[in-house]
Amino acid sequence: MASEIEKGTRYIPEMAQNEIDELRSSIKAASIKVMEENIARMKKTWKNRPKTMEYFDEISNFFGRREKEIREQKEAGKKVIGYSCMFAPIELILAAGAIPVRVGSGWYDTAKLGDRIMPVEVCPVIRSTVGAKMVSLSPYLELSDAIINPLTCDGRTKLSEILSDYKTIWYMTPPRVKDDPHALTAWKEEIQVIKGKIEKLTGNKITRKNLKDAIELMQKATKAFRRLQGLRKGAPVITGRDAMLVNQTSLWDDIERWTQKTNELCDELEKRLEQKEYACYPDTPRVMITGTPMIWPDSWKVPNIIEESNPQGVLVVDELCTGDRILYDPVGVDEWTIKDMLDAVSERYLMASTCPCFTSEHGNEDRVNWIMDRIKEYKVDGVIYYVIRGCILYAMEYARIKRILDRMNIPVYYLDTEYTRQDVGQMKTRIEAFLEMLEARIDI
Amino acid sequence: MLEIIAETLRTTIAVGLILAGILTILIWVRNLTKKLSALRLFIQTVSVAVIFLGLIIGPFGLAEWAYLGSAPKDIVIGTNILGSPYPDGLSVPTFACYYASGRTTTCVIWQLQSYIFPDWSTSSVYLTTGLERLAIAFGLLVIISIVFGRFLCGWICPFGLYMDLLTRLRNALKIRHWTLSERVNEGLRQSRYLIIAAFLILSVILGMRAIAGVELISESELGRYLELPFCQVCPVKPLFVLVEGGLGFMNLDYALSQTMGDFALTGWYLTSINIIILGVVTAGSFMVRRLWCRICPLGGLIALFSRFGPFKRLSLIKLTKVEEKCTKCGICKRVCPPQVTEVYEKKGDDVTASDCILCFRCVEMCPYEGCLKVEVAGKPIYKSKNWLKEEE
Amino acid sequence: MISAGVDMGTQRVKLVILKDKQIIAQNQQFSGFEPTKAAEQAFEEALQSAKLSREDIQHVTATGAGVNMVPFSDSTISMMGADARAGAYFFPSARTVIDVGAEDARAVKCDEKGAMLDFVVNARCAAGAGTFIEAMARALEVELEDMGSLSLKAERASPINASCVIFAESDVVSLIHREEPKSEIARAIFDAMAERVASMVLRLGINPDIVLVGGVAKDVGFVASLKRRLGMDILTPEEPLFAGAVGAALIATKRAERRQ
Repeated sequence: MASEIEKGTRYIPEMAQNEIDELRSSIKAASIKVMEENIARMKKTWKNRPKTMEYFDEISNFFGRREKEIREQKEAGKKVIGYSCMFAPIELILAAGAIPVRVGSGWYDTAKLGDRIMPVEVCPVIRSTVGAKMVSLSPYLELSDAIINPLTCDGRTKLSEILSDYKTIWYMTPPRVKDDPHALTAWKEEIQVIKGKIEKLTGNKITRKNLKDAIELMQKATKAFRRLQGLRKGAPVITGRDAMLVNQTSLWDDIERWTQKTNELCDELEKRLEQKEYACYPDTPRVMITGTPMIWPDSWKVPNIIEESNPQGVLVVDELCTGDRILYDPVGVDEWTIKDMLDAVSERYLMASTCPCFTSEHGNEDRVNWIMDRIKEYKVDGVIYYVIRGCILYAMEYARIKRILDRMNIPVYYLDTEYTRQDVGQMKTRIEAFLEMLEARIDI
Repeated sequence: MLEIIAETLRTTIAVGLILAGILTILIWVRNLTKKLSALRLFIQTVSVAVIFLGLIIGPFGLAEWAYLGSAPKDIVIGTNILGSPYPDGLSVPTFACYYASGRTTTCVIWQLQSYIFPDWSTSSVYLTTGLERLAIAFGLLVIISIVFGRFLCGWICPFGLYMDLLTRLRNALKIRHWTLSERVNEGLRQSRYLIIAAFLILSVILGMRAIAGVELISESELGRYLELPFCQVCPVKPLFVLVEGGLGFMNLDYALSQTMGDFALTGWYLTSINIIILGVVTAGSFMVRRLWCRICPLGGLIALFSRFGPFKRLSLIKLTKVEEKCTKCGICKRVCPPQVTEVYEKKGDDVTASDCILCFRCVEMCPYEGCLKVEVAGKPIYKSKNWLKEEE
Repeated sequence: MISAGVDMGTQRVKLVILKDKQIIAQNQQFSGFEPTKAAEQAFEEALQSAKLSREDIQHVTATGAGVNMVPFSDSTISMMGADARAGAYFFPSARTVIDVGAEDARAVKCDEKGAMLDFVVNARCAAGAGTFIEAMARALEVELEDMGSLSLKAERASPINASCVIFAESDVVSLIHREEPKSEIARAIFDAMAERVASMVLRLGINPDIVLVGGVAKDVGFVASLKRRLGMDILTPEEPLFAGAVGAALIATKRAERRQ
């Protein structure tokens, strides 16, 4: 019988325990080094980096304070629910009293481990996540009691299978076409199913009161998020990397505290804006990045180059699901009944998304509109189209975005890379040339 | 002399109070998702007060109207047009039912039906011909439609206020609303033009009481009531009559005595059909938001002259959308009381729909700054804002 | 206005001194293991031949892969920027500049002033760069300088199927054993290279006139193959190897003027 032959096997092959421990400690040390180095570099570029950023530096350390906090809360009885993609309904997790935490992998070193069981053509984020599981590296992945895995792309679909050997995986199937009415109905049912699973795991019912509180909490977070973004529209008072760091820490931090700290940061930045205390020259070329997820810490590779090269560029906005899109869309509730709130939550996660995994009669027009709008609002000088090799969806949308940006007379550069540090030199040359071009255009 | 001063003073105070009310709401209601709706509720209440001004400022208890009740008949505006008496006054296309007391305007549908038949020719009451009166009524309808469009439906109509109050009651009870499917909505949308056509044609036929010499209905009480076919099925009439009767502004006994008594037989003030339809619409509007607006023939008439063909370019109040800012999040579609989908589906620029009652709930709830705008004569007067909760 | 431009390439360092935008000295050295020393030497020799001293040079701009290894440079510019500037300098009608170096190739779109408008880089495939010819010359046992003229003798190109340099070498060896004429193999090699370069340029879009610079531009065989492949004429300057340095020196002039 087929199921007999697989008994006792797992997707990931057995590895010797001492090998696992060795790899884990070496990769962990390397990762900590990369995180510290990135922060040092950000401090170097931004000479008078505010003290409030230190909170975010602390939280960004995967193996530090936040891991400890989650562990303590878990021991006290709270459940931890991880999610691998931005379609998971965070409000429901918060309403049930669980801790939401994102489990995507941003480590380059674990991608090599993932190569052992899947070919290099597979998305590096997936390979890296699997590699991290092989050595139990990711604290958030290990601490999760269940992981919500929306099957938005092929890589993630198969990732569920691999991870389900170790963790409870709840998958969600977002439809590929958002506009059809039956698509939204199907998605709402998915949300209902997840709601049931969350309630069962945590033992808490999601009531009108706690869901309302969760939605309002996230709305406050969105407000702080947008406030920070709004401060980047004018002269650069915060570097792009720091803003991205603040954005990404919301993925695994305590939301309420994150909101408060972000507001503090915004207060300080507003004061600086008045006093014209900028992070870099106001005429620095303004760059926008759009493309595949760019996860802390190793994926800081490209932003580091952009903001440290000569001529310098500054990232003012991005179209990344791990950047300025994370908390941008709020849940808009019309009537505060539980059915309407659930409808609002379902719609927020599905309808506003700009991910290229969607298509429609007019293609992924949500993304096109967003990019065009951001370019106008943030006075972007040039766009870097960032694609991690292996992502077909983003790579294929390039032609359309390029055509549109050509018509808007905005230079765009296709930058494809991998989860490796080897191509930094080459990348530097190309990015510097691009920034030179932007500078020259500004002069004209 | 003193009277004029008194009048002016009274008007100024009234206007002052209204402005104060508006300012209070704008300042006091901090929650941006509720501010405009609160303002609209206030304006609706003020409109009802203005439409039924006679009930507030009198004169009261006039001898010649004693059989009706303590309220005067009406203080109709526009009773004198170009020197000719125009006793029914301005017909602002909103439900200011002819049969209710204390009005300042008169229902357009009543005027259209009445001037075709029975009051086609001049009489002791009407010194102008039916054609002239019809032209004036129609002309006013077109002009007001172009200027205001269905803004009247969302902000002035008393029946709209009634339905909105039902919605607020349902919200307070935390009951979820129902939605009608797109097919049903479309059907209702189409049928309102049939209703308009039907009542106009019926008014003609039943008014004449004969086609090509063949008598249809005998000269009887029934025949007379059928001259105004729509008024016998309109749900607004019994609402006003019952409310006014209950408040003492109308002699309910007299109103009821004007009926024929049997079920489904017609009367001046109330018919059984009226009341049944009111009951159905009330129950429906409790669960489905603004149910009547989807089928309202008056709304259909306004829409005809503000949303179609050349009128579309002339109409002054519009909803516009900036295409790039729209993320197709679907909030506008979800919160819309009459379930209009054009705001969501159309790409950009003018997204006003024929069903849209210009209540601006979508603009209020759109979370992307500057995406949806209300434009009056090309100038944006209200934009969607970032309404996220105020920091406490 | 005297300025200097340094192109620190992977194989050689090239230096050019400009006076009032005219070339008055040029020098090249092999970079070897000590590129900084080579750059210094090139500078000294060029100054000597122009009878100038260091203080006479108002501004030095460096470019190339080793752009940060030129200690005496005042500023830097990317190779793409330098190429664009040089292309427009040599040929005012130039709108596309192709630079095929030892280990990589790039194409730049420019305007009449030499400002870079867009660029594309081929840094991944060695079969579109100069070392390919060197490796193939070794396989054919022909002197590098003779490869070009040899290939022009051929009427057709032998079939080389491999997409990768490493495999192409074994292809060439087997062709030799089959006693294919060397001229035809040489032509095939240049055609393969031209194919790589052409597909890179096509990503940018071809805008005449096209200028070819870089060390490989001197090789008549490659130029002929590229002309054939692109279907248009290609302009090459007298000293294509120094194009990068000239471009850098022009930028240096502009920057020195701006400082004043």
